[in-house]
Amino acid sequence: MLEQGKIDSKQAILLLISLVLPTAILTAPAITVKQAAQDAWLSIIVATMAGLLIAALVTGLSLRFPGKTLLEYAEEILGRLPGKMVGLLYIWWFLHGNALILDEYASFLCSALMPDTPVIVFFVFVTVVAALAVYSGLEVLSRFNQLFLPLVLGLLLVVFLLAAKDMEVTRLLPVFDKDAAAILKGAVIPASWFGEIVIFALLIPFLDRAEEAPRVAVTAILICGLYLLICILVVVMIFGPHVSARWIFPTFNTIRVVSIANFLERLESIAIAVWMFGGFAKIGIFYYAAALSSAQWLGLKDYRPLVAPVGVVLVALAALCRNIVELLNFLATAWPPYALGLFEAGIPLLLLVVARARGKGGRGA
Amino acid sequence: MVRFLKPRKPGMVKQSNQQVSQSRESSLPDTSWKEQVLSPDLDTNLAQIKAILDRCSDVMYREFIFAQNEQIRLALIYTDGLTDKEQISEQITKALALEVAMAAPGQEISKSRALEFIKQRGLCVNEIKQTDKIREIIQAILSGDSVLLMDGYATAIINGTRGWASRAISEPEAEPTVRGARDSFVETLRTNTALLRRRISSPNLKIEVFKLGEVTNTEVAVAYIEGIVNEKLVAEVKSRLQRIKVDAILESGYIEELIEDHPWSPFPTVNHTEKPDRAAAMLLEGRVAILVDGTPFVLTVPNLFVEHLHAAEDYYERFIFTTAVRVIRFFSAFISLTLPALYIAAVSFHPELLPTTLLLSIAGQREAVPFPVFMEVLVMELTFETLREAGIRLPRPLGQAVSIVGALVIGEAAVRAGLVAAATVIVVAFTGIASFTFAYSASIAFRLLRFTLMFLSAAMGLFGLITGVALIGIHLCSLRSFGVPYLSPAVPMTGTDLKDVVFRAPLWAMFTRPRLIARQNQERQEQNLKPAPPETRPRG
Amino acid sequence: MKKRIAALLLITFVIILAGGCWSRVELTELAIVLGAGVDLAEDGRILLTLQIARPGAFTAGSEGGGRGKEAASWVISAEGRTVPEAERFLAMKIPRHIYWGHCIILVLGEELARREGTGIVTNFYQREREPRENIYVLVARGRARDFLETYSSLERTSAQAAGFLERMKTGYTVQLRELAEMLVSRGIQPAVTAVEVTEAGTMPGQVPGGPPPPQKEVGVAGTAVFKQDKLIGWLDPWETRGFLWLKGEIMKGVIIVPGPEQPEKLVSIRIRRGKTKIIPEYNGEYPRFLVKIQVEGDMVEQQTRENLATPEKIKLLEEEMASEIKARAEAALDKVQGEYGVDIFGFGEAFHRKYKKEWRKLKYHWDEEFSRAEVEIAVDAQIREIGLLTRRAGIPEE
Repeated sequence: MLEQGKIDSKQAILLLISLVLPTAILTAPAITVKQAAQDAWLSIIVATMAGLLIAALVTGLSLRFPGKTLLEYAEEILGRLPGKMVGLLYIWWFLHGNALILDEYASFLCSALMPDTPVIVFFVFVTVVAALAVYSGLEVLSRFNQLFLPLVLGLLLVVFLLAAKDMEVTRLLPVFDKDAAAILKGAVIPASWFGEIVIFALLIPFLDRAEEAPRVAVTAILICGLYLLICILVVVMIFGPHVSARWIFPTFNTIRVVSIANFLERLESIAIAVWMFGGFAKIGIFYYAAALSSAQWLGLKDYRPLVAPVGVVLVALAALCRNIVELLNFLATAWPPYALGLFEAGIPLLLLVVARARGKGGRGA
Repeated sequence: MVRFLKPRKPGMVKQSNQQVSQSRESSLPDTSWKEQVLSPDLDTNLAQIKAILDRCSDVMYREFIFAQNEQIRLALIYTDGLTDKEQISEQITKALALEVAMAAPGQEISKSRALEFIKQRGLCVNEIKQTDKIREIIQAILSGDSVLLMDGYATAIINGTRGWASRAISEPEAEPTVRGARDSFVETLRTNTALLRRRISSPNLKIEVFKLGEVTNTEVAVAYIEGIVNEKLVAEVKSRLQRIKVDAILESGYIEELIEDHPWSPFPTVNHTEKPDRAAAMLLEGRVAILVDGTPFVLTVPNLFVEHLHAAEDYYERFIFTTAVRVIRFFSAFISLTLPALYIAAVSFHPELLPTTLLLSIAGQREAVPFPVFMEVLVMELTFETLREAGIRLPRPLGQAVSIVGALVIGEAAVRAGLVAAATVIVVAFTGIASFTFAYSASIAFRLLRFTLMFLSAAMGLFGLITGVALIGIHLCSLRSFGVPYLSPAVPMTGTDLKDVVFRAPLWAMFTRPRLIARQNQERQEQNLKPAPPETRPRG
Repeated sequence: MKKRIAALLLITFVIILAGGCWSRVELTELAIVLGAGVDLAEDGRILLTLQIARPGAFTAGSEGGGRGKEAASWVISAEGRTVPEAERFLAMKIPRHIYWGHCIILVLGEELARREGTGIVTNFYQREREPRENIYVLVARGRARDFLETYSSLERTSAQAAGFLERMKTGYTVQLRELAEMLVSRGIQPAVTAVEVTEAGTMPGQVPGGPPPPQKEVGVAGTAVFKQDKLIGWLDPWETRGFLWLKGEIMKGVIIVPGPEQPEKLVSIRIRRGKTKIIPEYNGEYPRFLVKIQVEGDMVEQQTRENLATPEKIKLLEEEMASEIKARAEAALDKVQGEYGVDIFGFGEAFHRKYKKEWRKLKYHWDEEFSRAEVEIAVDAQIREIGLLTRRAGIPEE
């Protein structure tokens, strides 16, 4: 085993929430509202359903191969060479996906908190923090997440409650103003975020009770869905669909609007600060996935020697992105087929079908 | 990797080591006596002991003659100052030289029977022990026991006559409480074990004694409650103690540094207390206490982070109040770690954080200040730390002077002169006060890290601050104390143990002991202890 | 390994400290903008005026007394083709970093609003990080610069005074984000608070001997009405009341109605709360709107001598109150619908909510549709409290 630590179900749920929520809550509302206008919340519900399906797919697949990660059973199902290919693809995706997250994170901090700071500083520092957590192992990573994520979730709720003064329910009306196609189109992006839960397939072997994996994944997706739903509702109720779609980070603008009694206001810096913990965790999990799967792919006994090289690759990849327009464009157009189609649903589905056909795997074979 | 980061050449290190060990051996006194035993001849024995205890002016030799048989010469050796002189003269010298005659009037005790007779009827001391090893004899003399040597016997009787001037049990200085026991541990190990035994009079309270320190031969006791404690933990503590090979143990801090899990961490992973009630409570939760002779501070392991934010009084005051006070303490801990850094970040990076009127007021105060806010805070923090250190080191009567100078000169004058903004003084003062609300050992760590955070915050604003806090968080998450995660029961979360973190559950609801500490014996008490007036009490 | 990591961290740290501190600006290096005004210069360029706080005047405590009279703000302007360009020209005159994070009000000059529109201004304030979404947007009757150059007796600066006036919601208040929403939406046209410089009160005793000079201060002066992003007209304060009734905004204020028996004497009713509901109807040709206004108020003064504390009289008063509100609302509606022909009430939005299919066709020429729409106003008024008195005191028993 590459990893000695074990995590309990509670920690796993929180890890999965961190895996999806921190960046989803940042840009997804605007992208979704752009497609579905005030019906964006319907899109989120659809996306949550899709997320649940992917969760079921991933956990179902993993439970057929107890104690093995995605990369290991891909080889078992497809044979050595094709399995290795799939593994390589996933490693690339973990790295590339993480680089995109890093870009998103850095450009958000850059435009919201520290305008004059070069993004490379954010890349380096965030990567160093994440590397330390990854180096200390899954246990420490999940404990760190367990320590700070409740703070993030709690603060978000409080801020949304405080913003209630400026909300108007009428901005959500009329329902079904857009047709089903628009709603589905709006659902694709959040669904691709929910689909990141596919990384869970790397963590299931380290659960202290692996049989709870489906419950864990479903709970996490539902909580993420709920948060995203609330977030979209709040954003649209404050700005209306037109303005919401035009912001880049509508949640951030929502928090800026909060002003109570001329004193409880200007909370956005605090909110960003707390949200940053979520960002650290999300990048840490992707980082861990990349390091662990690379080690498995190379057949190493320990993934720790890979932590530093993976970090360097990560920063280099992230630095390739030139500006936020490019990033947003990629997220809105190329990301869904690339991530959702291939890595989050496509390959796992293929694996499941082949496993069934070849009768591989312990359960249900 | 850069060259200067490598360790020095191994060869060089070795060489210097050899030199040291050579020079050390030549200057060391002869230690061959450690293996030797007594001879039957009193004079030889006395001469040997005198040679070993050469130039020890506090060791006394008293030779006298046994009352029942003039042929039998006796010698009593003891250390002046460590022994109860009255006991020696009453129960040993007077008894053997005079009063033995009353026990067996007219009898002549033969040399062969003398030892047995003296042990059985002659000595009035309660604690006696027989030995023939020189090492033990020397140890006994130096620990305050007196040693009786008899001509013709290759054996000695060790009498428990310890008694020295020691500090009386007084109120705890470092952990004062409003409500609760007022006694505290003292420097004498026996007194300290007695204080524990007085609170836990159970045969299950085990107190095992070791001797540590090659020169000091300090007595170290390991206390635990059998049946509650995790046996593996006891074994681990003992093995870590036995690993210690140092010349001296002068304070429990020596032990702490030599047995802790994370020597590089700024956070203490071994707790200490000077309150016997607190130590007893720790034992009852399944912890192990380490008592060291010569210090009133008792170590307890394993140590959780939250312990440092708890006080003994938390369990004596009513739980609602305690919970409220704990909220304040946790908040203070947060403040003492981050407030100056937050202030720097807000004022020099994120003015949008402050309400307009507050910002304008701070800006107005800072208008005349010639330093950047980071320098201002740094200087004020250093001043505060200096004052605090001076307050501790200073002879007590002068303490007043320091506080007057501190408050008036530094605070008032600096603000008046426009060198420091009033807001900065408020921030630094509040931070200082907040750091006194919880245990000193943890507040030291917080104070140190506060400076790091200030640097990060001055370099990169909130981003730097949060990066620092995240690093501290990861570090805390990776700590363990004797196998128990440092941040438990919060992280990893053990549901039932959250009853005693920030919220302190009422005593009648604390059914179980901490799960990760007392692994075997979880149940603390019966479940239906919630008090109620008789008419509302459920029947049956 | 640990040592190496520590050393690496240390090196990065030193590098950061040495070359870093990118976004750091000391408070003493900031010019804190409290209010910004945009006017149209003579040659068609933009005149940007900033009201900047002088922090020295804001210190409280012992020194504050001596410096109380010190001017708290500094007003300075510069021209440019765009707002950022004007800001850069200003930066050549202001020895500190211009900081927008605490800007309270954005004032648009009348000329600019009429000829160029708001669009060329507000975009900067939305895109930039520092200015906030809840800046209050105002349109000055006259020049924005004159508005910012006024002085406030109660607050330190006129920008703060205007901000507090807006917070009190005495008129129709619009924050930047709401303006943006109105600009984007087809179902509502923008309306913005109108302000003017007025002579407001005196400060007696300021000048020993002579009479106190009148103060030039800021005041709310109704509402500015926009078509797309261009100013096309005004509503005076009285019409603004009616406009607020139709919008269903938070209402404060007093309704004056004639006494039931003595119509020449008046009764004042303070409004406690109100609710407005717009019910659209569409018959395929033109839209109709039913506006239902519910209002509750407390009687605060009577000039009449009669006993108003009877159920019948209260009933009469309520009817009077309803017709008064209806008259106001109709006045505003007539002016906006008839004269300006723009939907600043959000009738289009309401229509959209109910007839989403029809809206897709109507929305492109909504203003014409709105102009010929039939609007019916129904007011339901209630009086809750009559204060501490039943009958008016000071009248001899009959």
